[in-house]
Amino acid sequence: MTEHVLEVRDLVKHFPVRRGLLRRTVGTVKAVDGVSFGLDRGRTLGLVGESGSGKSTLARVLVGIETPTSGQVLLDGQDVARLSRAGRKQLRRDVQMVFQDPYTALNPRMSVGEIVGEPFAIHRVRPPGGRAAAVGELLELVGLDPGHVSRYPHQFSGGQRQRIGIARALALRPRILVCDEPVSALDVSVQGQVVNLLQDLQDELGLSYLFVAHDLGVVRHIAHEVAVMYLGRVVERGPSGAVYDGALHPYTQALLSAAPVPDPSVRLAGPSAADAPGGGAIVLEGDPPSPTDPPAGCPFHTRCWLAPLLGGGRRIPEPCAATRPALEPPRADGGHRTATHDDGEQHGHEHARDEHTGGGPAHLAACHFARPLPAPERVGS
Amino acid sequence: MSGDTSAAAASSAADHDGVVGPGTPLLEVRDLAVEFRTPEGNVRAVDGLSYRVAAGRTLAVVGESGSGKSVSSLAVMGLLPDTARVTHGEVLLAGEDLLSLSRREHRRRCGERIAMVFQDALAALNPVHTVGYQLTEALRRRRGMSRRDAGRRAVELLDLVGVPNARGRVKDYPHQFSGGMRQRVMIATALALDPDVLIADEPTTALDVTVQAQVLRLLAEIQAERRMGLVLITHDLGVVAGMADDVTVMYAGRVVERAPVRDTFGAPAHPYTRALLHSIPSSGAGGDGEGRRLPVIPGRPPSPAALPTGCAFHPRCDTARDVCRTDPPPLEAVAVDRASACHFAAEVLASHDVPPPVEHEEAAHD
Repeated sequence: MTEHVLEVRDLVKHFPVRRGLLRRTVGTVKAVDGVSFGLDRGRTLGLVGESGSGKSTLARVLVGIETPTSGQVLLDGQDVARLSRAGRKQLRRDVQMVFQDPYTALNPRMSVGEIVGEPFAIHRVRPPGGRAAAVGELLELVGLDPGHVSRYPHQFSGGQRQRIGIARALALRPRILVCDEPVSALDVSVQGQVVNLLQDLQDELGLSYLFVAHDLGVVRHIAHEVAVMYLGRVVERGPSGAVYDGALHPYTQALLSAAPVPDPSVRLAGPSAADAPGGGAIVLEGDPPSPTDPPAGCPFHTRCWLAPLLGGGRRIPEPCAATRPALEPPRADGGHRTATHDDGEQHGHEHARDEHTGGGPAHLAACHFARPLPAPERVGS
Repeated sequence: MSGDTSAAAASSAADHDGVVGPGTPLLEVRDLAVEFRTPEGNVRAVDGLSYRVAAGRTLAVVGESGSGKSVSSLAVMGLLPDTARVTHGEVLLAGEDLLSLSRREHRRRCGERIAMVFQDALAALNPVHTVGYQLTEALRRRRGMSRRDAGRRAVELLDLVGVPNARGRVKDYPHQFSGGMRQRVMIATALALDPDVLIADEPTTALDVTVQAQVLRLLAEIQAERRMGLVLITHDLGVVAGMADDVTVMYAGRVVERAPVRDTFGAPAHPYTRALLHSIPSSGAGGDGEGRRLPVIPGRPPSPAALPTGCAFHPRCDTARDVCRTDPPPLEAVAVDRASACHFAAEVLASHDVPPPVEHEEAAHD
């Protein structure tokens, strides 16, 4: 059995909401509410979700910017929380982060050489051959001119700045890169260059990526596996081909259907959209609910397009509003799963299942009525 | 309504001809040039932009950062910053050149007939006034409506854009709305004076996918209902494909291609458009992140202050030849309703009579 480089078990991160003079806790933002997954060497897990789904908080917990409220983060099978001080320092070296905005993530007063070399100083590492040589190599690795070490961030374009951020993240030879929306601030024509760079680096260095993004196209391109988050929970997870071509969860189906595709025959709106083959885009009503007060039962049931259809007379089926669905493989007949999980044992179940499937990651969905919906007709397919 | 867009579009064009007079688009931009004063001298941000928008039609203006797409719409609205000025061209609103008017008069005309929706609704709405106040401001000042009538209209407008509990929410402040709802509020303020033309500058870029779909659908519905002309400024070719009738592609301040959307996406006539279309990672095709490289455009968009000689795209172009490095290509007709600014436009266009090579080894099996 291969051991995951990084494993997350039932991770929870709650933020207290404080009000008033006494800063009394009046509620909790359940940013991440019981997330489990594993990441293997040289693989990419794409984390998809809307704002407020908890994907960025999860990323921050993994790199140690936030401490989890409960649950475990395992690095090479070792529980990070139980590590010694030295062990935690090693963790910081092993797991590095690439940030979304290359304009604010780089200190404008530091030269590129100082930025890329700073991790060596912080961790008191003497790279073989000296720091200057190491910085030069790193710049070359990410496709920048090593002669530019003394330039400042403002002298670079967005794409180049993102390369600087990647070079900095690679300085300490990490094994895992957590990329939080690494290309969404870049022009379309430049996005591809950075995505390709990340893929090359993965092949070359055997890196594992947790790739957080809202752009479904980019994630499909780069990720081997995809996890879809909604209100702090993973609602669907599986190999990216399986998720994109045969999404099981109605939320994933809506996300995929709402993403604009560069094909003029797929109209997003207007009279033709509704009559389009396949009924056109699934447009969800309303905004995601607040993570301070997630709905009971299935967190998605308040916006679900499928539930009212199942209930016949516009009524949502009882299990959707009453019981929280577990993340599990869909039933073959696509019908209602009667057995709901026992709350306490959720993550145990999942792990058992992951190991059973052996051959590859299973395709799981947290929906009482999970069933595949064929991917809509798309350009080039 | 019929499900056939082309028929709908044709009939809308016919209706429009009947209303405004044959051949007169609602808004027409002719050969617009905008320059910025900088310490390094004058920088031309927009150079020779022309487009026309008819009633009930959607024109997409596509480009990357620095392409001049946003600056050009500010020029149309008379909202350019003091460091910029229009050096050339006309902006015709129902036949009248707005640029020949005083700035004040220009703004007044626009206020009545052209409205604008910006990307960042939180920045565009005033945080210290209620949404209701901002909705009624224009009605009271320009239309001289009473406070009570304007208030009633504000509720109607919020209702129209699908803000739930509109009556209760007019008293709320912008920060009390979610991103999608704020964008709806901004659309409502834009609609307050019943504009003929709506210019939407990246209206959904800051929104989540599911909310983006709602807002785009709303825009399309309102446009169809009111027969507005819609100018959609965006970098997202998916949005263009889903919403627009016609597209104008800008690169480094110039129009490089102009065409009906269906034609461009099927067979682009400019290498830049072609490369852009190829570089979109699609959520609909491909495998599991295994060994596939995205086709990319090498390099990056040039700074308007240091444009390459000849065709501005030549350093990044896969079909560039000697002439491209010396002579800027003019925007010329390549087919009915289509124009391209490329020396080899005919060649580029012809190469797409055959479907483009499949980039992904494993196409999806739908």
